[in-house]
Amino acid sequence: MKILIADDDPVSSKILQKNLENWDYETVLARNGPAAWQALQDDSLRLAILDWMMPGMDGVEVCRKIRRRKRYKYTYIILLSAKDRKQDIIAGLSSGADDYMTKPVNFLELRARLKTGRRIIDLEDKLLFIQNQLKDLASRDSLTRIWNRAEIIRFLSEELERGRREKKPTSVIMLDVDHFKKINDFYGHATGDQALLQVVSRLRRKVRRSDKIGRYGGDEIVVILPNCGPTEVRSVGERLRLAVGGRKIKTEIDAVPVTISGGCATADAGGTPSPESLIKTADRALLAAKEKGRNCVIVAGDGRERIREQKNA
Amino acid sequence: MPDPISHDQLQPIDLSDVLSRIGGDTSFLKELLAIYFQEYDEKKRLLEEAVTRQDYKQLSELGHSLKGASANLGLARLQRVALSLEIAGKGGKLQPAKEALRSLEAEVLMLKAFLAENPLT
Repeated sequence: MKILIADDDPVSSKILQKNLENWDYETVLARNGPAAWQALQDDSLRLAILDWMMPGMDGVEVCRKIRRRKRYKYTYIILLSAKDRKQDIIAGLSSGADDYMTKPVNFLELRARLKTGRRIIDLEDKLLFIQNQLKDLASRDSLTRIWNRAEIIRFLSEELERGRREKKPTSVIMLDVDHFKKINDFYGHATGDQALLQVVSRLRRKVRRSDKIGRYGGDEIVVILPNCGPTEVRSVGERLRLAVGGRKIKTEIDAVPVTISGGCATADAGGTPSPESLIKTADRALLAAKEKGRNCVIVAGDGRERIREQKNA
Repeated sequence: MPDPISHDQLQPIDLSDVLSRIGGDTSFLKELLAIYFQEYDEKKRLLEEAVTRQDYKQLSELGHSLKGASANLGLARLQRVALSLEIAGKGGKLQPAKEALRSLEAEVLMLKAFLAENPLT
């Protein structure tokens, strides 16, 4: 485990370093406050021994700065000082230090105190791990493990914002399994689920790393394509359609012929539609594709979709 | 709080104290003393400058730093002199600072002589 030694006294620093290395710590040295602060920008540095008196910025100030920052993991801090009056110890701990030791340091004691620090860090790591798992669980669809609707809308609004800033188009493809209800009715829901999982796995293989794929509802799948204009989105849509419909899907019961239809919509560089309205536009194009006879992809704004809108008007 | 041990009773270096904290490693102690003397030369120069400029903040900081380094090596006599430098700096007293600086030089010479007579093995 890495540990920072921030001490302006080279003798004390050297003794600390030697002991810590004997206990298998990887040491990082700083001779003044600003250098300590600089070193602590490394997120893998979770343990720090700070001398109170240091040039530039003292240990207490470094401590306060560490506690004020938000995004970082917890840094366990032991403050060292020759000051051994009660009020100094209280002031040191109040600045945010976890522990306080007077100099010269007793090394057996330091070793034991560092074990406490590691325990705290281990606890935080466990918590963060579980928090990440929960976050992932809350952002994914339970059946297909792709992003859920809330997550995909959040991602789309971020991408639309970024596209507007960077003057790049963002596209959406709304996909739907053709006659999914019939598949469910004919083969049963378990087979329907298996088919949907296969559809998703075929789709995932065909999208770029930067694209995001999510389950919008029932058998509706949404793909968000950052930095993708109307011409590219059409070809991606076609590629996805062929990837799914090209061959039958094997389920436990039977090999099922499955095709999908797709509706595409693009927010061009200048436009600023809301995520919901862009999805709605893609959804209308999807309806047009269904009307056209399914197993096809339609891009919003092309002839056929307009005809449909006129019919609806 | 008065210290029961008078200055003259103190050894220049308390070997058992320092060796206990570095696992009895005398060659490491030699290395540390070399660093200490190097650091002392640098600090002495800065202290002389600080006395000339009457820079009391610098005096007390250097005094504090030397005090810590001395304590780490079991150099109790030097630790005391460094403390008096720190105090003189904090109090903004020039004459005691000059005296402490002279004692500091004397103590370092005494330590070097002691180490020459009692080489670390």
